[in-house]
Amino acid sequence: MLLRAELRKILPYRTVWVILLLFVGLLAGFVSVGSNVQINGQQLGNTLYAFPELWPRLAYVASYFNLLLGILLIILITDEFQFRTFRQQVIDGSSAAGLVQGKLAVSALLAVFGTLAVLAVGLFFGLTRSPETFGRSSETIGAVPLYGIQALGYLALAALLGFLLRKAGPAFLAFLLYAWLVEPLLRFATPDHIDRYFPVKIFDSLTPTPGQELLSTVTGPSTALLPPQAAPIALAYIAGLWLLSYLLIRSRDL
Amino acid sequence: MAVLELDNLSKRYGGTTALRGLTLQVEQGSVYGLLGPNGSGKTTTLGLALGVLRPDGGSVRWFGQPLSSQSKRRVGALLETPNFFPYLSARQNLLLAADVKHADPATVDTALELAGLTARQHDAFRGFSLGMKQRLALASTLLGSPEVLVLDEPTNGLDPQGIAEVRELIQRLAAQGKTILIASHLLDEIEKVCTHVAVLQRGELRTAGPVRDILAASDRVVLRVEADLNPASLLHALGQLTWVSDVRPETGGGHSAVLAPGHTPAELNRALFASGVVLAGLEVRHRSLEAQFLELTK
Repeated sequence: MLLRAELRKILPYRTVWVILLLFVGLLAGFVSVGSNVQINGQQLGNTLYAFPELWPRLAYVASYFNLLLGILLIILITDEFQFRTFRQQVIDGSSAAGLVQGKLAVSALLAVFGTLAVLAVGLFFGLTRSPETFGRSSETIGAVPLYGIQALGYLALAALLGFLLRKAGPAFLAFLLYAWLVEPLLRFATPDHIDRYFPVKIFDSLTPTPGQELLSTVTGPSTALLPPQAAPIALAYIAGLWLLSYLLIRSRDL
Repeated sequence: MAVLELDNLSKRYGGTTALRGLTLQVEQGSVYGLLGPNGSGKTTTLGLALGVLRPDGGSVRWFGQPLSSQSKRRVGALLETPNFFPYLSARQNLLLAADVKHADPATVDTALELAGLTARQHDAFRGFSLGMKQRLALASTLLGSPEVLVLDEPTNGLDPQGIAEVRELIQRLAAQGKTILIASHLLDEIEKVCTHVAVLQRGELRTAGPVRDILAASDRVVLRVEADLNPASLLHALGQLTWVSDVRPETGGGHSAVLAPGHTPAELNRALFASGVVLAGLEVRHRSLEAQFLELTK
C-alpha cells in the first residue's frame, strides 16, 4: 500500500523521468567517450571496457552521478512540503513513520534503478567493445552492489536535508556543499585515522578510484577503508540518517 | 458519547500563544460549529485535533482513544487549503488519497460525481479553479465514508450556488448520523446547519454549547401595552420581577427585556396580568448568531 501510494505520485511525474533518463544518458555518454581519452599519446580505446576492470571503473564513474539521484529525492520530498501533501497524508491516516518509510522505499527504488543502470551500461559496453573478456566479468561484479549501497547512502543524506530544510533550493545547496566542501574541509582538519569514518568518505570508499594501487606509489598509501570494510559502516550510517529524518518529522509541526 | 475530546490544549508559535487551555467535547451526531474571528485559533485547534500540529500542552482523544492512524481513518478532514499534487489529475489525486485512507478505490467514482468533476477527472489539479479545488477536497474527505467530518472553511472560494450545495451536503450527511466539526467565519452558514457551537477569541474559548441555548440566552421579549395605559405601570411591574433584567425602550414603542434562564414568556404574561398590566402584544425576538457573536467577541 505504501509503495503503491508512492508509485502513484512518481510514475506520472515528468521531472522524475527526465532526471532518470539524464542519469542513464550521462553515464552511458561519459563511458562511451572514455575510449577517446589519450594517456601518454595513446588512446585508451577498447581496453577501457575490458572485464574484470570494467565493473570497478564503472562504479567509480557512476558514483559522481549519485548527486542526480539525490537531487531527485530532494525534489520529491520538498514537493510534499510545498504542496502540503505530507500534511494531508497525516490527516488522512499516515503516521510520521509512514511518511519517512514511503520516501525510504523511493530511495530504495532509485538505488535499484542506479544499480541496474550501471549493470546495463557495463554489459552493453563490455559485450560490444570487449566481448573477448566477458568470461572474467563475474570476478569483480561485487563492485556493482557496493555502488548500490553508496547510492543508498547519498540518498539517505539527501532525504535528511530535504526533511530538515523543506525547500528544494536550500536542500540542494546543502547537499552539494556538504558532500563537496564541508565534509572535505572537516576531514582536512581531522587526523587521518578518524576522517576515514566520516559519512561521505565512507560512502566514497565503496567505489575506490581505479588504479588506486598505482596512485598509492606516488602519493603514499590511501587511508580510506577498503570497500568490504566500509560497507557495514555505510549501512549503519544509512540507518542512522533515516532515523534522524524520522525523529525530525515526528517532532515538528507539518 | 464524545467523538472528540480536547482537554486543556495549548499551542504557542514562538512567542505568540495561539491557543490557551482549550477544553471541548464534540458529541456523536452533532454538527459542531467552531466560530471565531481570523487568528482566533480555529485552524490551530483543528490542526492539533488532526495531529499535524504538536500541542505544547493538553491532550486530544478521538472515540475515547489517543489519536492514531486507525482513529484518523474514521475521520475525513479538510484543513485550510485543498492539498493535492498539482501535476496529478483529479482522479489520480483521489486514488492516492484512497490508498492513504485504506479506502476502496471504487469509491473514487462516487466522490468525483459528488464533486461534479467527472467530466474533468483526467485534467491536472493545477488547472482547476479555486471552487473546483475546494469541491475536490470535499469529495476527498468523503472517501471511505468516514464517521466524522472535519471541515475548515468548507465554502471558501465557492459561488453562492456552491455554498448552498455544501450546506445541503452537510445537512444530508448529518441526517445520515455523521458527526461534523466545521470551522467558519460565515456565521449565517453555521446558524443554518449547526446544532452546537463554540466561539473562540484570541486563542481562548468564549462560550460553547447547543446553538439554541447560546441564542436563547440572549433572546429578548418585546412587550407592548395599549396606548391608553401608562408605560410607567409596565416598568413598575417589571421592576418587581427579579428574573427580568435589562429593560429597554424599543424604537417604535414598547419595551424589551431579557428573562433569566428557566423562565418563559408565558410566565411573564401571567405575572404582569396578576399585577394589573394587560399586554397588547408579546413577542420573542431571537437574536441572530451574528449579533450574539459580535457581542461575545467585542
